[in-house]
Amino acid sequence: MSAPRDAADDRAPGARSSIPREALGLGLRPPHHEAIERLRPRLGFFEIIAENYLGASPLPRERLRRIAERYPIVAHGVSLNLLGEAPLDRDHLSRLRDLIQELRIPYFTDHLCWTAFEGVTHHDLLPAPHDPELIPYAAGRAFEVQEALGVPFGIENLSSYVAWERDTVPEWVFYRRVVEESGCWAMLDINNVVVSSKNHGFDPLEYLDSVPWHRVLQVHLAGHQVLPSGLRHDTHDRPVGDEVWSLYEEAWRRGGPFPTLLEWDAEIPPLSVALSELDKARQVRSS
Amino acid sequence: MRAPPDAAPPAGLASLMGELTRMFTADAPLPGDAELAGRCREHVAGNERLTPAEQADIYRRQFWLRHHDALREDYPALAHVLGEDGFDAFSRAYLAAHPPASFSLRDLGRHVASFAAAHEGFPPALAELAREVARYEHALVDLFDGASPPPLDPAKVTGMPEEGWSTARIVLHPLLALMQLRYPAHVLRSELRQGRSPALPAPRAVRLAVFRSAADLTIRYEELEPPAFALLEALGRGVPLVAACEAVAAGEAAGVPLGARVGAWFQQWTSWGLIADVVRGAGAERG
Repeated sequence: MSAPRDAADDRAPGARSSIPREALGLGLRPPHHEAIERLRPRLGFFEIIAENYLGASPLPRERLRRIAERYPIVAHGVSLNLLGEAPLDRDHLSRLRDLIQELRIPYFTDHLCWTAFEGVTHHDLLPAPHDPELIPYAAGRAFEVQEALGVPFGIENLSSYVAWERDTVPEWVFYRRVVEESGCWAMLDINNVVVSSKNHGFDPLEYLDSVPWHRVLQVHLAGHQVLPSGLRHDTHDRPVGDEVWSLYEEAWRRGGPFPTLLEWDAEIPPLSVALSELDKARQVRSS
Repeated sequence: MRAPPDAAPPAGLASLMGELTRMFTADAPLPGDAELAGRCREHVAGNERLTPAEQADIYRRQFWLRHHDALREDYPALAHVLGEDGFDAFSRAYLAAHPPASFSLRDLGRHVASFAAAHEGFPPALAELAREVARYEHALVDLFDGASPPPLDPAKVTGMPEEGWSTARIVLHPLLALMQLRYPAHVLRSELRQGRSPALPAPRAVRLAVFRSAADLTIRYEELEPPAFALLEALGRGVPLVAACEAVAAGEAAGVPLGARVGAWFQQWTSWGLIADVVRGAGAERG
């Protein structure tokens, strides 16, 4: 992939991909495979969890190929370990690139987090301090990912439950600077902004003020739990909450259009329910 | 600004992640551990709602819950045998011995069968059943994740000269597990998958062919009668076809005709996709 250009040159990354900017998509999960193949719903795209298709077993890829014949597929990762201390895993990137090329995936996204340390994998998206010293390190690694994959790389903001003593800039500043200095893209999760704003007591509109809208590759929506303690828990196990819809409406007004994807990863409902939930995005945009 | 490829992480990042990994993988709640709670206060800011240790403990709880659930998903029959508390104790002991090391949760249980074989924490009355069930369920995971070989070329069978069969070797499908179990673990697992809550089985010696169907890539099992199992095992060891049949026939009771049954077995095995290749023996090559 060529060296990144100035942000202003890349106003419409959708023009370089097969995903229309207004498209609505759904996270592809195994309980929906059969219904998708049978009903062939009208939908802009599906997003896969890339790691689920990197194993030797042919079954997941076989199912995916059938769906990819009818729908554009984008890929989302959960294990790049972008903020980890270990060098990026070149074999992993190579397998990702093979998957991207085989399915003609227009872009790849993963999180601004760390996931492993010295051989222990947490299988979690762990936050790191919002420390300006980390920004060049994160930006360099994100750039390396984008170069290795050969497609635009979207960096996703986290939901989090801890604040660090070493936090010296707000999350939204840290996030924007990593996106801009890497020459990569923003994968903006609206639900994560709401969850973190409630857990850490900041104004989510202030977060939106800082989003580099011209670099937003895609937006995520999801549901989360409010625990009795008041803590917001990013569970992806229920419909999208009203606060998330409100912030999505505001995001659309400020930065739309952008491809919008619904994640539903636990207590997964029938496909029709997930599609109805996604359809609310259309109503919110036109309200 | 971007750091160059393979730049070292900023000072202090690795030691912070090491500390956090120690906290997030701790066995007991962090607020109750004075030493770890003190370490939390050095790194985690906390807020009005949660102390630093309580914030960090969210990630610790998720670590155990996520990996416990992943093991339970792959080993439902073992969980049924041990009960909720018993399986929780087993999974904690297992994860302490084998922390998650791969990006894929599918690899989490790669040591479960060997760990269970040596684990002394099972209730004595359940130990043998638990180990057999772990062994069976481990085979299912392995078979699901394995790569498929190329399909058998029918010309290798039709083109084999008559005399060639006397020295030909049958290559079995690499995703075939031949298992002798002291309990019918396959029946227990099957009943659980059908949503039942079966009683724990009594000991019964079974011989199983467990394999991934080439037709639909699902995992299947078939109970085999002893001579069929012995023949498959001999073929799997590389014994030429005729010699393997002779050895099995020699072990059978006098008067039981084996010839006709072998033909029927091979028809079955071929239909199940267990024969991956037929290799001519040295004698046939010379002929």
